[in-house]
Amino acid sequence: MNQTSINQTAQNQARARVYRLLSDLFAKEIDHQRLTCLQSSEAQAFFDLLATAPELAPEVNTLQEVLAGLNDEPALLNLAADYCGLFLVGGKQSANPYASLYLTPKEDEEQPLLFGDQHQEMMALLMQSQLQVQSDFPEPADHIAVILAYVAQQATRLGDKDQQAFIAQYLDAWLPEFAMRVSDRDSGRFYQALARLTQTWVRQDCEGLSA
Amino acid sequence: MNRRDFLKGLAASSYVTLSGSSLLAPLNALASTRTDEVWKTTGSHFGAFKMTRKNGVIDKVIPFDLDKYPTDMINGVKGLVYNPSRVRYPMVRLDFLLKGHKSNTQERGDYRFVRVTWDKALSLFKDSLDEVQTKYGPSGLHAGQTGWRATGQLHSSTSHMQRAVGMHGNFVKKVGDYSTGAGQTILPYVLGSTEVYAQGTSWPLILEHSNTIILWSNDPYKNLQVGWNAETHESYAYLAQLKEKVAQGKIRVISIDPVVTKTQKYLGCEQLYINPQTDVALMLGIAHEMVTQELHDKAFIDGYSLGFDEFLPYLMGEKDGIAKTPEWASKITGVSVEIIKDLAKVMTKGRTQLMMGWCIQRQQHGEQPYWMAAVLATMIGQIGLPGGGISYGHHYSSIGVPSSGAAAPGAFPRNLDEGQKPLFDSSDFKGASSTIPVARWIDAILEPGKTIDANGNKVTYPDIKMMVFSGNNPWNHHQDRNKMKRAFHKLECVVTIDVNWTATCRFSDIVLPACTTFERNDIDVYGSYANRGVLAMQKMVEPLYESLSDFEIFTRFAALMGKEKQYTRGLTEMDWLRKLYDECKAANAGKFEMPDFDTFWQQGYVHFGEGQPWTRHSDFREDPEINPLGTPSGLIEIFSRKIAQFNYDDCPGHPTWMEKSERSHGGPGSDKYPIWMQSCHPDQRLHSQMCESEQYRETYTVQGREPVYLNPLDAKARGIKDGDLVRVFNDRGQLLAGARVSNRFPQGVIRIHEGAWYGPVGKDGSKQGGNEIGALCSYGDPNTLTQDIGSSKLAQACAAYTCLVEFEKFSGKVPEVSAFSGPIEIGR
Repeated sequence: MNQTSINQTAQNQARARVYRLLSDLFAKEIDHQRLTCLQSSEAQAFFDLLATAPELAPEVNTLQEVLAGLNDEPALLNLAADYCGLFLVGGKQSANPYASLYLTPKEDEEQPLLFGDQHQEMMALLMQSQLQVQSDFPEPADHIAVILAYVAQQATRLGDKDQQAFIAQYLDAWLPEFAMRVSDRDSGRFYQALARLTQTWVRQDCEGLSA
Repeated sequence: MNRRDFLKGLAASSYVTLSGSSLLAPLNALASTRTDEVWKTTGSHFGAFKMTRKNGVIDKVIPFDLDKYPTDMINGVKGLVYNPSRVRYPMVRLDFLLKGHKSNTQERGDYRFVRVTWDKALSLFKDSLDEVQTKYGPSGLHAGQTGWRATGQLHSSTSHMQRAVGMHGNFVKKVGDYSTGAGQTILPYVLGSTEVYAQGTSWPLILEHSNTIILWSNDPYKNLQVGWNAETHESYAYLAQLKEKVAQGKIRVISIDPVVTKTQKYLGCEQLYINPQTDVALMLGIAHEMVTQELHDKAFIDGYSLGFDEFLPYLMGEKDGIAKTPEWASKITGVSVEIIKDLAKVMTKGRTQLMMGWCIQRQQHGEQPYWMAAVLATMIGQIGLPGGGISYGHHYSSIGVPSSGAAAPGAFPRNLDEGQKPLFDSSDFKGASSTIPVARWIDAILEPGKTIDANGNKVTYPDIKMMVFSGNNPWNHHQDRNKMKRAFHKLECVVTIDVNWTATCRFSDIVLPACTTFERNDIDVYGSYANRGVLAMQKMVEPLYESLSDFEIFTRFAALMGKEKQYTRGLTEMDWLRKLYDECKAANAGKFEMPDFDTFWQQGYVHFGEGQPWTRHSDFREDPEINPLGTPSGLIEIFSRKIAQFNYDDCPGHPTWMEKSERSHGGPGSDKYPIWMQSCHPDQRLHSQMCESEQYRETYTVQGREPVYLNPLDAKARGIKDGDLVRVFNDRGQLLAGARVSNRFPQGVIRIHEGAWYGPVGKDGSKQGGNEIGALCSYGDPNTLTQDIGSSKLAQACAAYTCLVEFEKFSGKVPEVSAFSGPIEIGR
């Protein structure tokens, strides 16, 4: 079945772009190459457009401010250390970006916290869509970057209702808690802004899709 | 602006992508073909298992067919792989990355790391070694602190790290270990071997011949759950038979211990309470009674031992004016005079097997109880008889299960091959010792150049600037965390290779992720002492995240030195397994049939069959001249001329009762800190291994903390109920633990199992300050409180059991447990 053109509208292309950008920002640290891209005039224009939505503006502005200040290697490394402390290490109470950490019922003692039910569900969904996670991204499939990338992929392929159901279940259900934990633990400003931006964006997108 | 216009605006803008491709790729047809449902065989310290997968994730774990007594810890195995404490990527402490050997070392434990590539991490590792070898030479590097690793003959982390680092340059090494340091040093003088790691008399003979078994500070039912290699758990069948014999009144088992052990509960045997750390006094009282009642075996003493005449005047008080009478012993030990006298009779009537545990040698003067117990066994006169004599290891790795007698598979080499030279070939330790007693490394870092006595030698501490650890967690097993922090502030570089963010990783600069046992192929001996067969350890899943096998990590490291071929000998993982197996097969040819490697690998196991029962020291008893012991005289040495010549005040020439620096129940220091803390081996871990297994840990924690076992009256006196949070403290440190109130523990005694992960937070429980001296351990690591002193000038061994504390109900703001979270930035 050819799904590629089911929902190929300009709005959905735009949505895919935002999801893809968010996925990229959560997938790994900002290095020099990514920074060049993020500081480009095209990127700035994109951020400015995003900031025209008043609910998104404060977080987008914070991202822009931080990005503008990343002028040397130590500054980049400090941001990388923020990323590491939030997303690459940490236990059950951490702000790790895995859905399973937030969605596994407390009484479910059988399920491991990593590579558990949420990972299995995402794997099954990806397989259904004839997709898999790139081998150079050795994270569980319920990593926020994978889920966001999946929404970006499906934005132009699935009907609004299906998209809305997926986003509600696999993102909106845990992003508020996630954004709260990131805000509590972030020693910088960037990732808490990114987490809150993602939370707000996803909530609005959910509402938009069901309207 | 409505949503539609907003999105249209975005769509019209230029597309921003940070990476060329999405995280998602088209499904690879190959990747979707799975062999998940196939049962594979593997093994670990906790036993051998069969496992299946679900979508590439370990699913079912069941005991290996031959394991009739699997440990409950099998429930923690999945959590060993999929727990949030995993080291996922190579990481470097930020300030170390920025400033190298000039980094702010006070920040260690302050936890700010960044991810780096494997190439970057390994080249930083090598650069650091270069710097230390160039500036300080081999005495600047200690890569000899090694520990329990994970099982597997090929991937053993110690061997890989030491071979690879050894190819780079020479380094300081250790002698001894934390488990049995005092015992393994004293017993070669007394019985001619370490005894602690020797095969013991077979259980079938003990069950047949023994009338009395004394479990002296020994809890085999707890400790036999784990083994050095894949554990067979065969000892449990014999313990079950022993339980029956106890019930039938056929064997009398007495557990001499301050607490009611798991073994005593299981066997339903007798317990004899003794004041902690006073075992030597009890033994002397028994010996005195044997002499006065002429119960001792004079013929055996004359024929098989040396030095009873030198010992006797001490025992009878002719030397120091103190006769070691039952009355004298009773006052120190809390054991009644009648019972002491009765023990002398019981032990000398019928066949008596003494079974010593390891805890009582992990204390100040820990050499003495082992030596004195050997003297008691000599006086009983049954050494070398089935079901009699003394053993020091029946609680360890199925010692006492008859050995198959087959040759076991070899291992990946730890040392350089003949003819190979390190990159930095200097052996100039600048006047310092190249080998130091295992537990004295923190002293060495703090006081370089200091000379101490150790086992008849002088040891001069090297000036250590860099430590390398692999599969080893000294921030569990070493004593006195605050002292360790002071030492770590002095180090220029610390590298740790491990599976999880142990406290050792958190106090390091470079952290490299190793995969678990279940993420690589290996082979193992099935049963360290039983040697029941060869076990295939079939890879269950690919290494998680960016972790690598130890073999792969150090092959890459060797490649940086241009020594990859030298390191691997040109062999891959599977080549090595084939080689180790084929060599084992050749060694067993004609005696034990083994199929070819491919058949073995497919079957998962080779069985060597059952062994023949055997009696320890029976050859010595048969003819001590033809089969002498390994002591200087070839006989049991009740008095050691060699030790006497060392002239140590804390280890004289014969077993001696000496007061401890700290002792409860009226001993020194007990007016300020009245409680003795025992930190024995855990019931639901292997040392600190499996503490990270999250769901399993939650089956025994109290409010998320390690349990502290308390006597009901002690608890009541402090207003503590079962389930409360308790602060345990002394002048050395403080920790939080969860109260488990139990009659099994006498007044004045608490237990916190070692292996509880260290998770420091600020002194007052706040998030900040975990790196500081005086921090509170939020999880309950007992070595926050223990004393870092040598057992004596002889062994200089770990003396964690000489430790007094006080405790109170915790009333402050309850901190989150920080032990399992990796390097969270608690110091900022």
